[in-house]
Amino acid sequence: MKKTIMADSLFRTFNTLFMISFVIITLYPIINTLAISLNDGTDALRGGIYLWPRKFSMKNYYTVLHKNNLITGAFITVARTVTGTVLSVITNAILAFIVSRKRFLFRKQLSLFWVVTMYVNGGLIPTFLLYKGLGLTNSFGVYIIPGMISAFNMLVIRTYMNGIPDSLEESAQLDGAGYTTIFLRIIAPLCKPVFATVALFVAVGQWNSWFDAMLFNRMSAHLTTLQYELMKLLSSVTNQSTSAEVMKNSPGSVTPTSVRAAATMITMLPIICIYPFLQKYFVTGLTLGGVKE
Amino acid sequence: MRRSIVSPLLVIAMLTLLTTGCAKKSVSTDSNGIKVFTAFFAVPGSEINDDNEIQAIIAKKTGAKVKEVWLTGQTAQEAIGTFVAGGEYPDLIDGGDGQQQLYASGALVALDDYIDKYPNIKNFFNKQQWDALKQDDGHIYWIPQFSNIKGEEKTCTHNDEAFWIQTRVLKWAGYPEIKTMDAYFNLIESYNAANPTLADGTKNIPYTILCDDWRYFCLENAPQFLDGYPNDGAAMVNPVTLEVMDYNTTPTAVKYFNKLNEEYKKGIVDPESFTQSYDEYIAKVSTGRVLGMIDQWWDFAYTAGDAIKQAGLDDQGCEYVPLPITISEDVKNQWHCSGGVLNVASGIGVTTSCKDVEGALQFINDLLGQEIHDLRFWGVKDVDYFVDDKGEYRRTTEMRDRSSDTTYKASHTCTYSYFPQYSGTSDDGINANKPEGQGSEFFDGLSDNLKECFAAYGAETYVDMLGTSEAPGVWYPIWSFAGTLTTGTPGGLANEKITEVKHEYLPRVVMASNFETAWADYMKVYEACNPELYISELQAEVLKRVEAASKIK
Amino acid sequence: MHLATESRWNIPWKEIKRQRVLLIWTAIIVIYGIVFYYLPLAGWAMAFEDYKPKDGIFHSAFIGLKKFEMLFSDKTFIRVIRNTLAMGVLNLVASFVMAIIFAILLNEMIAQGYKKIVQTISYLPHFLSWIIVTGILHDALSGSGIVNELLVKFNLIASPINFFAHTNYFWPIVAFANVWKETGWNAIIYLAAITAIDPNLYEAAMIDGAGRWLKIKHVTIPGIRPTIIILLLINVGNILNAGFEIQYLLGNGLIQSVSQTIDIYVLKWGISQGDYALGTAAGIFKSLVSIILIVIVNQIAKHNDQERLF
Repeated sequence: MKKTIMADSLFRTFNTLFMISFVIITLYPIINTLAISLNDGTDALRGGIYLWPRKFSMKNYYTVLHKNNLITGAFITVARTVTGTVLSVITNAILAFIVSRKRFLFRKQLSLFWVVTMYVNGGLIPTFLLYKGLGLTNSFGVYIIPGMISAFNMLVIRTYMNGIPDSLEESAQLDGAGYTTIFLRIIAPLCKPVFATVALFVAVGQWNSWFDAMLFNRMSAHLTTLQYELMKLLSSVTNQSTSAEVMKNSPGSVTPTSVRAAATMITMLPIICIYPFLQKYFVTGLTLGGVKE
Repeated sequence: MRRSIVSPLLVIAMLTLLTTGCAKKSVSTDSNGIKVFTAFFAVPGSEINDDNEIQAIIAKKTGAKVKEVWLTGQTAQEAIGTFVAGGEYPDLIDGGDGQQQLYASGALVALDDYIDKYPNIKNFFNKQQWDALKQDDGHIYWIPQFSNIKGEEKTCTHNDEAFWIQTRVLKWAGYPEIKTMDAYFNLIESYNAANPTLADGTKNIPYTILCDDWRYFCLENAPQFLDGYPNDGAAMVNPVTLEVMDYNTTPTAVKYFNKLNEEYKKGIVDPESFTQSYDEYIAKVSTGRVLGMIDQWWDFAYTAGDAIKQAGLDDQGCEYVPLPITISEDVKNQWHCSGGVLNVASGIGVTTSCKDVEGALQFINDLLGQEIHDLRFWGVKDVDYFVDDKGEYRRTTEMRDRSSDTTYKASHTCTYSYFPQYSGTSDDGINANKPEGQGSEFFDGLSDNLKECFAAYGAETYVDMLGTSEAPGVWYPIWSFAGTLTTGTPGGLANEKITEVKHEYLPRVVMASNFETAWADYMKVYEACNPELYISELQAEVLKRVEAASKIK
Repeated sequence: MHLATESRWNIPWKEIKRQRVLLIWTAIIVIYGIVFYYLPLAGWAMAFEDYKPKDGIFHSAFIGLKKFEMLFSDKTFIRVIRNTLAMGVLNLVASFVMAIIFAILLNEMIAQGYKKIVQTISYLPHFLSWIIVTGILHDALSGSGIVNELLVKFNLIASPINFFAHTNYFWPIVAFANVWKETGWNAIIYLAAITAIDPNLYEAAMIDGAGRWLKIKHVTIPGIRPTIIILLLINVGNILNAGFEIQYLLGNGLIQSVSQTIDIYVLKWGISQGDYALGTAAGIFKSLVSIILIVIVNQIAKHNDQERLF
């Protein structure tokens, strides 16, 4: 018994040390980015900024926040994040529910059908042509519909649902409940932690995505997204060109990494704010014990 | 039971609703009856804000405006590829590296029949230049925007490649004539031995080489200049015999890399040269520690150059001037060529999706008028510049600072930067077409150390430090052809391989303990790439261009 | 009643009727999947033709397996496969192990407040772009960077190492960067799985006198095993997707023989040259390898009676 206690305290010390060092090395890049974002741009070019700005300036934030179309972009981004997340969680949950039913006739085939989608890709041009044919280009729908069901999210939910004892379903069936009732009343409420996880994945993906806005809604300014606007700003102020000729023809267009840092901080902030609300689902253990057996 | 069928149907209905977007029209007018054109440029660039002031002024005067969209996060080839696949284009387009794709797909409108109707466009090029723009079907499809010089050429900065050196080094040595590579490195060595640090004790980096990705020209293309050739970029062309020569294998190339190898061993060449990123390089140069390097002006001046000034390091003589260096005293340098460089490979074109070709060309024509041109590049009188008693455009410090402010530029300035434009002299015969060519603008910004240095060499500008040479011939520059080569041709394939080999082996050659064996290894892999295929395609193009030009004369 | 016992030839009408709702949804979902995931695969035809944008996918000239022959006769391509595989395996192992360890250790933290803070901080680097992360890494590993400074101070090395000039450091650096950026993020999924473990099991283990280690070994790990297995299976299939941004940003000419991945190769020799066929061919190759890999690992999982993909 004594040995266990000693081992326990040893473990705790080790764990605390591990967590402290982990926090330090993961916090550093964030603080560094924050410091650079608050530093004068030209001065930041000289490097050597670590934890604190050397020449304080809010100008980088000013530049980012005055970007054309930023408000439209933010509005569309919020809309796509909310709609996309809700729809995605619902549809993936339905799919996961189906493939986790042990008696389902096409259980294996349906799983395989989706697993394969993770590893095949038709490429940019065919995808573009398809979306154009479906009327998805220059539309809001392109943000929501194409990625709505994803095999990865489905598998995550399915794994969780597989862990729920069959006895729950069986007893409900004896009471005359259909699949819809079983899903809504029994399985879904138990899956809150995994729904929260998938919601986080989808929301972050939606929040950060810009490629679809660029590719499918390039000429529709009213459908721009926050991240696309920021990408446009960054690619205009940084040296992303790949040819000397282009650089030569746009004199003085290269400005510093500090604007990128400010843009990063601005997009990170909302996610940091929302996180605690989701976090309760996967940090504090939910007591499933009561319903489990 | 019914509910279970209804709910999936509801979902489908909802999704259908979501997909219905609004249809896009190609040419539209805004509420003020101003024509709105769309344009896509397959290069990165800055957007114009919707509420941009000068854009509104130009729109009022010309009755049209353009919504510009730039390349973001894709290659030009990719972006143009999607446009072509979809078959729908903006009204105006510059395909950059993907220009040939646009032409091959029939996306562009032939401009030949229109050009004569628009005097400013017609006068933009002479007959020979327009002919050079004809594609294999005999038509003109695009207008290169940048090469044009009106009237007298006005250049103060050498916006190109050179061996740069800090003024403090020259000052310390009493402003000697430095004309050869050996003299250049000797000077750096002796200065560094006498003054190993900056005033604050930071150690100097005597010579660094930027080698990041495509920017490795700072390492690889010096041999052409050392041999006294101008920046043909891809190879050297003998102006008399028109023979295309490979600068990678010349005796001068061997001497140059051997020199770098020696200097590397002596600790003069920065040991991190070949692993540093562009950002790290700029950071180094910004601290004023780097005594010398090869680079193009635009690649460091607007970043590191500004940082040096801002930190007050210009007082210590940390700014850079170019030196007229060649391999030996008897070779005349051609680092600076006068005249514009006509890049026929890309330019702005009107697409088949444009419903008002005439309106679009009229707008391009209007943008070239002097009044609008001044609005584009100088801005609004008494806001962005003022006119002194001699009729010369000047800017106060405040105006100058504002002109480089990103936020101000986005909401106020509207250069329509990828539309045809002039440099050189304005129609009034006094002012430069762009502020960077204006003499007074240039001199007002010079530090004392730079003025002293220029004076010591009897120079007034950066260009005077090097002297100017004429463009060597009608083929010049051959890089405008080399840039269009793809792996689809044997020569293009060879060039890709050569680039890859040089990226890997040139740093090794410089860092090698035994230069001869390293060079021999390099040459072995180099020859295996079949460089002659590449050279012969360049040769064919040079002859083609010369022949095309001779037909017109 | 069990499916397995029913004859193959007997259409189980009763069961179909019972599962009516499931089947309707399945039909919708399958149609969706076909449209958005399988229909674009028509684009694979591009790998077998001399694709010209103006002719489109359906009218370009057929060239057969030429592009595949080109790929596999190119020594560089063989080398980039090696690099991609090596980095894929290293990243997989490192990120995987670290995320699990981190999730378990985090779960062992007692103070709830600290636990939340640590978790929040740990996943923040996920939101930094690679260009920022690689910038910091470049800085830290440079001649005068913190790593060299520490190594020299503690006399572990005599003079600073130029980490990016040697081919043998590159793969570990990439793996480290991945761990650094994604551990906290990857751990979220395991943390969610841990919440599903019945607390009674921990209590029972405690009554049996189990210490921390035994509880982790006998309760926590078995509890999250299905999640671990599923993610492992998914990621094994992704092993050839070792990425390109990080390698592109950290690599340089000197070490390009180890830094180039399949994706960089495709970008360089295919996309930026307007050669879609080459890129598509490489994509097909990657897909085939992935599918073969997951079928194999899925069989292994099945054999060992573990959670599996299908």
